[in-house]
Amino acid sequence: MRKSNLIGSYAAAIFVMLIFTLPILWMFMGAFKTPVDIYSIPPVWWPDFSYLENFKALLAENWSFLLNSVIITLGATVLCMIFALPCAFGLVNFQFKGNNFLADWILSTRMMPPIAAAVPLFMIFNGMGMLDTHAALIIVYAGFNLPFAVWVAMSFFRNLPKEIIEAARIEGCTWFQTFWQVALPLTKSGIATVSTFVFIFAWNELLLALFLTSSDAKTFPVVISGFSTLSRTYWEFVSAATVIQVLPPIIFTLIMQRHIVSGLTMGAVKNG
Amino acid sequence: MLDVSDAAIITKKPPRKNTLSRDERKVRAAFIVPAVIYLMFMSIFPFIYSVYLSFYQAKLTRLHKKFFIGWDNYKQLFSDEVFLAALKNTFLLTTSSIILEVVLAFICAKVFLSLKEQRVGYFLRSMSILPMMITPLCVALIFSYIMNPTLGILNYILSGVGVEPISWFGNPNLALWTIVFINVWQWTPFMMLLMLAGLVSIPTSLYEAASLEKARWWHVARWIELPAIRDVILIGVILRVIDNLKLFDLVYITTRGGPGDRTELLTFFTYRQDFAFFNVGYGSAAAVVILVISIIVTTIAVGFLRKMQNA
Repeated sequence: MRKSNLIGSYAAAIFVMLIFTLPILWMFMGAFKTPVDIYSIPPVWWPDFSYLENFKALLAENWSFLLNSVIITLGATVLCMIFALPCAFGLVNFQFKGNNFLADWILSTRMMPPIAAAVPLFMIFNGMGMLDTHAALIIVYAGFNLPFAVWVAMSFFRNLPKEIIEAARIEGCTWFQTFWQVALPLTKSGIATVSTFVFIFAWNELLLALFLTSSDAKTFPVVISGFSTLSRTYWEFVSAATVIQVLPPIIFTLIMQRHIVSGLTMGAVKNG
Repeated sequence: MLDVSDAAIITKKPPRKNTLSRDERKVRAAFIVPAVIYLMFMSIFPFIYSVYLSFYQAKLTRLHKKFFIGWDNYKQLFSDEVFLAALKNTFLLTTSSIILEVVLAFICAKVFLSLKEQRVGYFLRSMSILPMMITPLCVALIFSYIMNPTLGILNYILSGVGVEPISWFGNPNLALWTIVFINVWQWTPFMMLLMLAGLVSIPTSLYEAASLEKARWWHVARWIELPAIRDVILIGVILRVIDNLKLFDLVYITTRGGPGDRTELLTFFTYRQDFAFFNVGYGSAAAVVILVISIIVTTIAVGFLRKMQNA
């Protein structure tokens, strides 16, 4: 390739990168602006990054909701894995009638719009006195991510050589031992990827949290959505809260970019 | 459908399947059944309950007093202008977003493909896919901030070249396209990643042959690149259709369906019926309509994803 072409390619790539990152960066800068600066026109282009009052004021009032988000998200991730991993292992290793049908059905539940389940779930948790509890959201988030987790887990259990499983069985391992002592340790990195995805999906969720929580178990996204009302938006809090909310997914993306494609397509597309 | 390795195992030892001991069966069921029951609770139960509720006039606040009204909710739904607007807007949003995403993603993918230096390209690419990983809630807020009519930086920059302040979310003819724009911004990186996965599988010898033949770029795109990425595009499109049917955060934050019903979408319409007006019977009917659309798309999607995964 000619040198001018090469420079052109880099210029184009940097341009693309800026389109997708500048809006995020602009919001990040807002988090470090005083309530006066954030409304000033012409804008303050470069804030003083040692100004942390927005974060302090935000967390002083809302740290418990951030904690709710962490508890619910971690709980949902663990619960989801407890159900998803054995199921995926079984679907890959046990031959039975309806095996594929079952896997398809599981996948199809991933496509269900959460809004269609919102009222029925509201009823159930209302009936059980579980509205506005951590447990309710943990159950719901784990359940909604279960199809995704099963399918992606299936794709990496399938990559495990059949001989290893057979060898373990011949050595006298029970299925449970084969699963726990052989299959799981060999698929650690895959499991880490799936769990991280489930964590991010649960961390990002808003709609069901609006339905199922009101005060005690309110999650951070619900708090953020409350900063923006039709009458007034508290931009200094919105931007500080956005920084906190998007930091975990961003860190994850930068670390695990290789796994994102196969993760988001349920293992259907391998990484480029 | 069975893949090759499954078929091989079955032909090797067919009798074992039916001669499992009862204990063996129980052990195997213990792996799979809990997740299946969980999912039934999460999907089949809500589905049946929504269908049931959609035939009643029911208020969320007093559910013990509900009346059976047959198909009335559905009849009302399809003569409700707001719902029809929601259907139309959801369709417009879905199709236009996806078309734009595919075209722009192809251009972006080509840009990243042309980078020769691995580490720099890798870094630029990682940065470019950040939008799709952050919650739509925050994306909506980021753009409300940037596109705010008075304090937003976009109108400020535009005023520098003499453009009058634009009400991005308040102008009835513009609002839906603003939503489409934000949606495209967030999801183009996803489509781009998929395409890159397909494009890197093309052997360089094909490109070399094409340049020897003096093929124009559109010939290369049509006869070499498109066949290689057709399947991944299809997967991306299917997943994006399903995601767009669920789209909620964006409208909830930016326009709340307004101005008028110009950005009313199916999910938001249902949400409002359920939780602002407490009309859960009517809301459930709307939810059932969304479900039916999703089921149609899903049936196509599942068969396709299975084919890909087994390939």
